[in-house]
Amino acid sequence: MSNDTTATDAFPQAEDLSGPLLTVKDLRTTFSTPRGDLTAVDGVSLELGRGETLGIVGESGSGKTVLSRSIMGLLPRSKTTQSGSILFEGTEIVDAPDATLRDIWGAKIAMVFQDPMTSLNPVVRIERQITESLRLHTTMDKAEAKATAISLLGQVGIPSPAERVRAYPFQLSGGMRQRVTIAIALACSPRLLLADEPTTGLDVTVQAQILDLLSSLQAERHMAVILVTHDLGVVATRTDRIAVMYAGHIVEMASTRRLFASMAMPYTQALLKSTPRISDPSHTRLTAIDGRPPDLINPPTGCAFAPRCDYATEQCRIEAPPLRTAPEDPTHLFACWNPLQTGHAGTVTTAKGEL
Amino acid sequence: MEPKAVVPSRKRKPLGKVFWISVGWIGLVFLLAIIASWIGLEDPNNGDYALINAGPSWGHPFGTDDLGRDILSRVIYGARVSLIVGFGAMAIGMTLGGTLGMIAAYRRGAVDTLVSAASYVMLAFPALVAVIAIVAFWGHEIWKITIIVGIASTPLVYRVIRAATLSYATREFVTAAKAQGATDTRILTRELLPNVLPTVISYFLIGVATVIILEGALAFLGLSVPAPTASWGNMINESRTYLSDNPWLALFPSLAMFLFLIALNLVGDTLRQSFDVQESKL
Repeated sequence: MSNDTTATDAFPQAEDLSGPLLTVKDLRTTFSTPRGDLTAVDGVSLELGRGETLGIVGESGSGKTVLSRSIMGLLPRSKTTQSGSILFEGTEIVDAPDATLRDIWGAKIAMVFQDPMTSLNPVVRIERQITESLRLHTTMDKAEAKATAISLLGQVGIPSPAERVRAYPFQLSGGMRQRVTIAIALACSPRLLLADEPTTGLDVTVQAQILDLLSSLQAERHMAVILVTHDLGVVATRTDRIAVMYAGHIVEMASTRRLFASMAMPYTQALLKSTPRISDPSHTRLTAIDGRPPDLINPPTGCAFAPRCDYATEQCRIEAPPLRTAPEDPTHLFACWNPLQTGHAGTVTTAKGEL
Repeated sequence: MEPKAVVPSRKRKPLGKVFWISVGWIGLVFLLAIIASWIGLEDPNNGDYALINAGPSWGHPFGTDDLGRDILSRVIYGARVSLIVGFGAMAIGMTLGGTLGMIAAYRRGAVDTLVSAASYVMLAFPALVAVIAIVAFWGHEIWKITIIVGIASTPLVYRVIRAATLSYATREFVTAAKAQGATDTRILTRELLPNVLPTVISYFLIGVATVIILEGALAFLGLSVPAPTASWGNMINESRTYLSDNPWLALFPSLAMFLFLIALNLVGDTLRQSFDVQESKL
């Protein structure tokens, strides 16, 4: 069976390959709730190059999922207001009509969802769930689409794909299902893959397999990936750059190497400290960040992290720190009045080893 | 060599004897209603005046009525009316109510508010009174009764299907389908419909049973298909006068209706239970 010709040739790529794939400028996403307006993403700007992997890290409620859904244009229209701009290959996503987005969805940007238990249709064979978007975005006929579906299942490491393609989701394990959702997302060879906590519902060994699979597929296809997670350990070895989010803001962004070598934000450090380490003796108490994320309906004045921060000063509580560049490295951005000194961070030990 | 995939076969609880007996009975009623004209039944509308209000005998297994008409023949011909009205009206109700319910549950917002409000208005009005009024005004040919009862059942079907769709419309696989570029029509027909279908099928059968009772009620008020056409409801209505002299007259059409309805309900209920997806198995 020809393995990867069908899927990758489906979209002959003609347009210019210069410039960033994705440019987000001052994005603000606000939900109107019964209690008032909640700004889940507040003035986020970032750029993503072709084939680049960006990790977005933050606690629950930091706005990382809303940011990824905003980039995809998937948030419900009612009760959501967006400002700023998201340019994907020159197409504006913010407030674009569904018809425009439908040409991008699946074909150019695809998404792997958090929970493979709910993101597959329980009563539809996986064959049709994969071929659906192939039939929609390409000119393939039924037989070609099926052959592609089988080859995709093979690529994501599902044994005997020709038989599995006839299975229903409930006949597969959680890890297998997440592989299927990845196959669905990759069907039309998207330029950008958004993976929103793709391993949260899976056990640790399967997590590593799925993440490694994503990395290898990305390298093969020269596809950009945004990996959303709360786990710094997950992004440490698999991303080119990391953006740390807190209370809807990007509070620190740097290349992965730079971030771990000299993180500037106390929040990033706190996140890192709360990652369990494999080298710790058993029954070590997990370090947690004291306090809770701020109420985004009534955001505090000053730095949003100040109440939970060990280094907070009077200035932090009065004035919100702007995002500024590190003097030694212009690509390292952080928003802090009292940045950590180099060396504070220490090393991180993850399942993948020392970094 | 790859190991052969073990795709587990779907193990279902057997549907049971009662279910298959019920299905058989429904099938038999259907068959008899269809072939009624070819199996040598006596004319259901012209009786033997020499033999009126007779009990069961070899010549007339179910007896004869006040005009000497064969009751067996009338019960079988009467099934036609019940079946046409029952299934026809539910088909109309399901098409209208089901489509609206799915769209309202998927789109939400103004569409949902509007259609749901309309359904509440219809539900708040006693359906039987409305049906009686329209039938009295418009006429009581069988197709008119079917349409009227069908429309009257729409708001109920709407509510059931809307609720069923709602529980799936917010699932992540709908967002996932959207994120792959599927249009709304496609999401409705290919993602949501297969999930709602079990509800549609089981509710359909129970709805048919309800409509057949409604037809009976209309007939009892003299508002179903005009005489001399036999329908189970008409026959029960006509038997009223002779209840003390000839109880057979009321017994057989009532029994036919009772057994048919109970079979429909049993089948509908068993199907609903068997379709009931347990989250733990997903």
